[in-house]
Amino acid sequence: MAEFRSRTPVTALVVGLVAFAVVAMVVDRRSAPGGPERELSGWTGAILDIAAPVQKMIAFPFDLTQNAWRHYVSLLDASDTNAGLRVRLAALEEENLQLREALIATGRLARIAEIRADFEVPMLPSELVGVDPSPWFRSVLVDRGRVHGVRSGMPVISEHGLVGLITTTSLRASKAMLVLDRQSAVDGIIQRSRSRGIVRGRGTSEMDFEFVTRGSDVRIGDVVISSGLGGVYPKGIRIAEVVSVSDPGSALMQTAKLVPAVDFGRLEQVFVMLRRGPTMEMLYADEQEGDLGTTASERSGP
Amino acid sequence: MKRIIALLALGALAPMIQGAIGTFVPLHYCPAFGLLLVVGLGLHWRSTAGGIALSATLGVIADLLSGSLLGQHMLLRLFAFGAARACSQQLNLRGVMPQAIFVAALTVVTALGTGALTSFFGAGRGVDGEMLRELIPHALINGAFAPLGVWLVERISNWFSEADAGHQLLQLRPRNRLT
Repeated sequence: MAEFRSRTPVTALVVGLVAFAVVAMVVDRRSAPGGPERELSGWTGAILDIAAPVQKMIAFPFDLTQNAWRHYVSLLDASDTNAGLRVRLAALEEENLQLREALIATGRLARIAEIRADFEVPMLPSELVGVDPSPWFRSVLVDRGRVHGVRSGMPVISEHGLVGLITTTSLRASKAMLVLDRQSAVDGIIQRSRSRGIVRGRGTSEMDFEFVTRGSDVRIGDVVISSGLGGVYPKGIRIAEVVSVSDPGSALMQTAKLVPAVDFGRLEQVFVMLRRGPTMEMLYADEQEGDLGTTASERSGP
Repeated sequence: MKRIIALLALGALAPMIQGAIGTFVPLHYCPAFGLLLVVGLGLHWRSTAGGIALSATLGVIADLLSGSLLGQHMLLRLFAFGAARACSQQLNLRGVMPQAIFVAALTVVTALGTGALTSFFGAGRGVDGEMLRELIPHALINGAFAPLGVWLVERISNWFSEADAGHQLLQLRPRNRLT
């Protein structure tokens, strides 16, 4: 009896904490990115705010060594790279000129100039300060938060392509889920053949291109870009390249393996697109109106 | 109180350090400091209720910094604490090798638990071949660092409990009567 009495508080504590964890997981799962539950404040936000400078400080000596080494090595073949880039620049200028001529000839340049404003989204440069502490999830911590205008649900890109999506924000830091994460799914199309599919993260350095209808034209080396469907990511952002295509056999769908356009191992700087996709805007319009006030109209654009 | 604050600070710092190291080294080659601390708590923390509360708090901190569901790490840390506490009562986990083997096995179980929870809540894929491939080196690394993590918790626990009590712990050695 005495032993039972002494164990009762411990048992109650364990049951209470397990119940709390399960409820927290259910609530977290139900709250989509962009919801008010994802905007951390108080002590939970403080942990994220503290983590960013602490991680930056810890990584500083490694960064310094790595940068010094990279710059030294890159200087060794800077002359050759420069010559190669000049040739490429000339070729691209020539191609650009030809494309402009073709557009003018078809009378579409003026119309393109008009609709271009729709695609111009303000970008916020951010520094990647840390990665997910668990090897089973692929997310990163960036050093920009709500005070900089970042909200959950905003896409994150780099100069090479799509990086991921802001999932949680605090005042001065944000957590972004990478497209590599097992929870990530992006609607994509093959740039060349316009075949559609879903780009799913595998939790590793590769991704899957799923739900591609049998007979779709997918080849090794094809570039996959975001389709804009789903309303989370804008259309036309480079996501990955096809490295292998599986034989569908008798299945209705085929799958391809992809390597991301972004080298996530060397990712240092990213850009947060300061505009949510239409789906996020629709889902959280009320919250944004209350939260962002005047800046909402600026972000939603024309 | 001091040892609780010290362990909480260390527990909060652990995922941050891990996240910073992860920008240079693949994370499955990096020890899970948070898990090691919880195992240390399970083996050396006197109060079971206190250990459970501390483990849960460390889990919540890991959840906030990770892309996992909120509560996922918390649940797994509670399990890790319980497993360490229960196994230390049945097995001799004082040596380096038993600790290493125990932590390696616990790493596998908690990783499978992570996959199962993720899959159960429909938040992504569950356990697959890729995950198992990465799990092996991660379990080995965690096993190798386990004695260090356990020793650290033991030292902090003893050090601050001496400070809290206001007296010093004396280690006694038997004198050899023949000399």
